[in-house]
Amino acid sequence: MLTRFANWLDERIGWRPVWDAIFLRKMPKVNWFYTLGSATLFVAVNQAITGILLTIYYVPTPDHAYDSVQYITTQVTGGWLIRGLHHWGASVMVVLVVLHMLRVIFYGAYKYPREVTWLTGVVLLLLVIGFGFTGYLLPWDQKSYWATTVGTRIAGVVPWVGDWILRIMRGGEDLSAVTLARFFGAHVWVLPATLMLLVGIHLYLVIRNGISEIPKKEGGKQ
Amino acid sequence: MENEEKKEISRRDFMKITIGAIGGLIGLGFGIPAIAYVVSPALGKSQAQQWIQLGATSKIELGKPTLFKVTITRQTGWIVNQEELAVYVLSEDGRDYVAMSNVCTHLGCRIRWIAGQDQYVCPCHNGIFDKQGNVVSGPPPRPLDRYETKVENDQLFILGG
Repeated sequence: MLTRFANWLDERIGWRPVWDAIFLRKMPKVNWFYTLGSATLFVAVNQAITGILLTIYYVPTPDHAYDSVQYITTQVTGGWLIRGLHHWGASVMVVLVVLHMLRVIFYGAYKYPREVTWLTGVVLLLLVIGFGFTGYLLPWDQKSYWATTVGTRIAGVVPWVGDWILRIMRGGEDLSAVTLARFFGAHVWVLPATLMLLVGIHLYLVIRNGISEIPKKEGGKQ
Repeated sequence: MENEEKKEISRRDFMKITIGAIGGLIGLGFGIPAIAYVVSPALGKSQAQQWIQLGATSKIELGKPTLFKVTITRQTGWIVNQEELAVYVLSEDGRDYVAMSNVCTHLGCRIRWIAGQDQYVCPCHNGIFDKQGNVVSGPPPRPLDRYETKVENDQLFILGG
């Protein structure tokens, strides 16, 4: 029954070649370090699911942000779990992304013909940091308020354009409702949209070019 | 026997089943909390009922519905609101009190006592209730909602929330 339906669907939309290209592709002999990218993807999906769930109750305005987060954590069934997964997932995300990058550096996997995969990866790293920075403000407690005050001030140190960057980030002179709203907008719309696009390209390239072998020791036999 | 049966499962099939099972568990791990999380405020029991003081029974004229207004605090989600509760109180003998909500049972508009007609009128869809709150005409499906009442030290209380 299931096979018949799978065949019926394949005849019409041709999913099987796509499936095979993703899951039955040729692999060199690899080790566990090669799972870091998939692990990152898994946590990214976790962030997307829990993030979507959090927006059901979270309200990004100064008079409601803190209270709505407290409501999620203490009143809503499983709210502590959803928020906890998102909170810890955020840190895990940064750690995994960096480890993944280190593996690619140490194995020289960024070299020809995989330079574009690497470059999209660099942008993805920046996006993950952007997620961390904008998400940190959203609980609107003392820690997030002052962390963002300091963070935007650091951006303000850039020569010539620093003050301008600071004002753009804050949406004005001071940290305010405008800042919270734009950080929220960036966190749930701009960054996710960009991330999905780039993850799509990144994965397409991984599949298209195949993954690199573990480099052989110098002087060892070819 | 058992060993032979195990050998019939190929390495590939074993991996398929294992990965499927782990994936299923992860899916449940997300799915069950997610559903509970989304529906929980809807299932939460409504505000605890409590006795609300309306005012002195001496204000009530016998045989004539008297409107009492009280402010109550009500919590919805993380927001605490001040809400006005309006209740019509009727007493024929000064001993038994009928407290009726001024919310029309049709679609929730506020009804008003029209003394000249001896009726409650809902302005939205012309729902008409008699003095006891029974439907006379119009679309309301049931009589006006009543509150439980009690009198303590000549003060009238209703049970609500």
